[in-house]
Amino acid sequence: MELTDNIRRRSRTNNRFRYLVIAGSVITIIPIFLIVGNLAVKGYRQINLAFFTKPAPDTFQAMMAAVNGEIIPGGIANGLTGSLLMVLLASLLAIPLGLMTGIYIYENESKKYARFIRSLTEILQGVPSIILGIIAYLWIVKNITRGYSALAGSVSLTIMMLPLIIRSTEETMRMIPLSIREAAFALGTPYYKMIYKILIPVSFSGLATGVLLALSRILGETAPLMLTALGSPAISFDITRPVSAVPLLIWDFYNDPNMVNLVWSASLFLMVFVLSMNLLARSVASKHKYI
Amino acid sequence: MSGDRITKGLLFLSSLTILLLSAGIVVSLLGGALQAFREFGLRFIISPAWNPTAGSEEYGAMSFIAGTVITSILALIICIPMAFSTSLFIAEYFRGTRTSGILRSLVDLLAGIPSIVYGFWGFYALRPLLVATGLTDQGFGVFTASLVLAIMIVPYATSLSAEIISMVPAELKEAAYSLGATRREVIFSVVIPSARSGIIASFILALGRALGETMAVTMLIGNANVIPKGLFAPGNTMASVIANQFGEASGLKMSALIAVGLLLFLITALVNYLGKLIIKRFA
Amino acid sequence: MKNSIIILMAVLALAASSCGGSGSTTGRQKEVTLSAAGATFPQPFYNLAFKKYNEAGGPLISYGGIGSGGGIKSLRDQIVDFAATDAYLSDEELAEMPGEVVHIPTCIGAVVIAFNIPGVTELKLTPELLEGIFLGNIKMWNDAQILAVNPGLVIPDMEITVVYRSDGSGTTYIFSDYMTKVSSLWNEQLGTGKALNWPSGIGAKGNPGVAGTIKQSEGSIGYLGFEYAFAQQIPMARIMNSSGFFIEPTLDSFTAAAAAEIPSDTRVMITNSPNPSAYPITSFTWIIMYRELAYGRHSRDAAEAAVSTVKWLTGEEAQAIATSVHYAALPQNAALQAAELLKGITYEGQPVLK
Repeated sequence: MELTDNIRRRSRTNNRFRYLVIAGSVITIIPIFLIVGNLAVKGYRQINLAFFTKPAPDTFQAMMAAVNGEIIPGGIANGLTGSLLMVLLASLLAIPLGLMTGIYIYENESKKYARFIRSLTEILQGVPSIILGIIAYLWIVKNITRGYSALAGSVSLTIMMLPLIIRSTEETMRMIPLSIREAAFALGTPYYKMIYKILIPVSFSGLATGVLLALSRILGETAPLMLTALGSPAISFDITRPVSAVPLLIWDFYNDPNMVNLVWSASLFLMVFVLSMNLLARSVASKHKYI
Repeated sequence: MSGDRITKGLLFLSSLTILLLSAGIVVSLLGGALQAFREFGLRFIISPAWNPTAGSEEYGAMSFIAGTVITSILALIICIPMAFSTSLFIAEYFRGTRTSGILRSLVDLLAGIPSIVYGFWGFYALRPLLVATGLTDQGFGVFTASLVLAIMIVPYATSLSAEIISMVPAELKEAAYSLGATRREVIFSVVIPSARSGIIASFILALGRALGETMAVTMLIGNANVIPKGLFAPGNTMASVIANQFGEASGLKMSALIAVGLLLFLITALVNYLGKLIIKRFA
Repeated sequence: MKNSIIILMAVLALAASSCGGSGSTTGRQKEVTLSAAGATFPQPFYNLAFKKYNEAGGPLISYGGIGSGGGIKSLRDQIVDFAATDAYLSDEELAEMPGEVVHIPTCIGAVVIAFNIPGVTELKLTPELLEGIFLGNIKMWNDAQILAVNPGLVIPDMEITVVYRSDGSGTTYIFSDYMTKVSSLWNEQLGTGKALNWPSGIGAKGNPGVAGTIKQSEGSIGYLGFEYAFAQQIPMARIMNSSGFFIEPTLDSFTAAAAAEIPSDTRVMITNSPNPSAYPITSFTWIIMYRELAYGRHSRDAAEAAVSTVKWLTGEEAQAIATSVHYAALPQNAALQAAELLKGITYEGQPVLK
């Protein structure tokens, strides 16, 4: 019977595809376990309270600890505060700017100018972080703060966050049914209210994804911070002075012959932190999902 | 009415930041690259030479262009099946279940790993694995770098794709089901066409990330300033050579490196333009 | 929404309030903050020394290991109080600086030749062998030339893999400076520089990259900073120096290389030293600073803090710290030269050190 043959064939393809999807997903997460496992095994020993509250150790302390078979004293406190400072500042700059630009592009799709801005955004996305570091060095370190500073670091991070936020904002907005928007206008809602009371809440989950992606990206960046924030042994909140960051510390640990073990612990921490941040944001966003 | 105008004006102003930023970056890069182009002319772009020996300096960007393009495209090719299946898993097959939530968080984990850590892991863990398979002698090369790159860009492609796919209106899908379509058929005839631009955008986002990735690549690609001779041969990418050599460079060499940066900027633009064409073809 | 605005304002207020002034004008040195950048090789020593000095009442110093070139650029852009470099500035580079620059040597580092050959723990190498191996002319470990210098050594029939620095580095500079002095073929083909046109081999990033690569690859050989090979316990070769002795890399052999005439501005490469007990591939590492310190946003307090720090760095206490973490100390003549040079540093024309 042709009809049942057809159905059987389609059903088989359907099942095969389902297995393919599951297999593909499993393969995707294998590296996660490999990397996390590696980091966890090599890094768990160094993580204790001091890890979060003490600044980075010096090479002598590390050497003595290695010789005596103890864990290296000290921690990443100076990197934690520096990263916090710069990421906060960068977010303050990038999130509003990114959201607004994304909305602009979405609302003005027909205009050539908007499409041009979108293309520029995509290009900006591909600029290597080291070049953004060089740019921030030329603009901020040399001319504005006249010295390495947290501000310069934040600016380079902001530039890195913008394209991700803009693009995901725009794409998310595009998926919102026009009917919702039109309904708001039909009720006489002013433009700005439509944006922040309708557009943003409805697309909140997608916007959160974009912001999260951007934050995850910049938390691990090293190259631009080397040229802008420089690094510092102290816990400082002065944005006109050098400041440390967790990835900078990781690079310092790597370059010190005695502190290699801390590389794994700091990386483990960074990863766990980003994961928690994602989990938290997702649970918040899911409470606001309208679609 | 004027309230609307102010809002529109504000939005327009914020779009100017991108314009100013891009313009500023291009101008700064051009200024720095001028010396190199004056010295070597446009031949710089196609020349595979890279000789920093004082007295006979000659620089050309081709080796790095080749390295960047090959590793990025290879990374994307490896990434697409993984990202595609994972985003379908999260947003379609197991949508709303705890499994999907867990998978999504695991994929987010990948995005959270700093690029140097990928470099370290690739160097200390992946490389010996590859050497053990016998495919490659020392483990450094285009393939190793591309593999790690692929893993790095999966979260970008997956996250956004999954979001977009999940936003396809239920009515469209239900209409197809009511006509007797199987799940797979609904995916290919309704979901994907509807989410197409978003999915491709996410891949382009991922490709853009791959083009500019520095730290992870630089630890695994072998840093040979030549056009890679084979899949497992060492090579170098544009971002990697800039990161490696910029700190110590000066004069003509620094100008050559900035010129390479400018070219990377242009290549990213080109890739995006091509992606745009592809999307248009399918619209 | 309202809550987020409140949080926003609070953060802005916090950020604004922490915009400190540039360079404290109180007399207490401890409240002065300095920034410095440069070579990664001495970074562990500097960080440790600066920390100890700060504990003893000195200023807080942020040092970034961005490479000698980065340090020089930073100094040229006048955004740091002093910089650190493994290679002294050439006459052209000095001319490019907006002011006169002084070189203060702070310690001595060495480049060792580390190897990974199964079953081999000791290896003797001559300049000719180094030339052959690194230029790719000697390709196998059991080559006759290697066996001639190491009689009785049991060495496997294995290909030699050369590991070099992929990033521009002072280590490469020091190694190539030595090789240029002892090999005319090297001088022709590669010359001296921070990045060279290597004919073959693998490029690894940073000293740890080279160390890790050598450790993981059998049959490999490469050049790297002494403390990395020491910390990772990688076997190092004994190199024949200019007097014909095969010297093992030790702190004393490094210091011995500098115990000779050095010019008054200390700009000299001490590779291939004539001293018979010297390890031949050694070099000073310098702190470079302007002779006149009233520039940019540098206050008098910052100038005093900078000079006293560098002075302490070349003094006995700091040099003892250096040897405790396996950096070689300055010999007497260099330390004296450094002190002399520091006396000439001025702020608005007046010598900083009283």
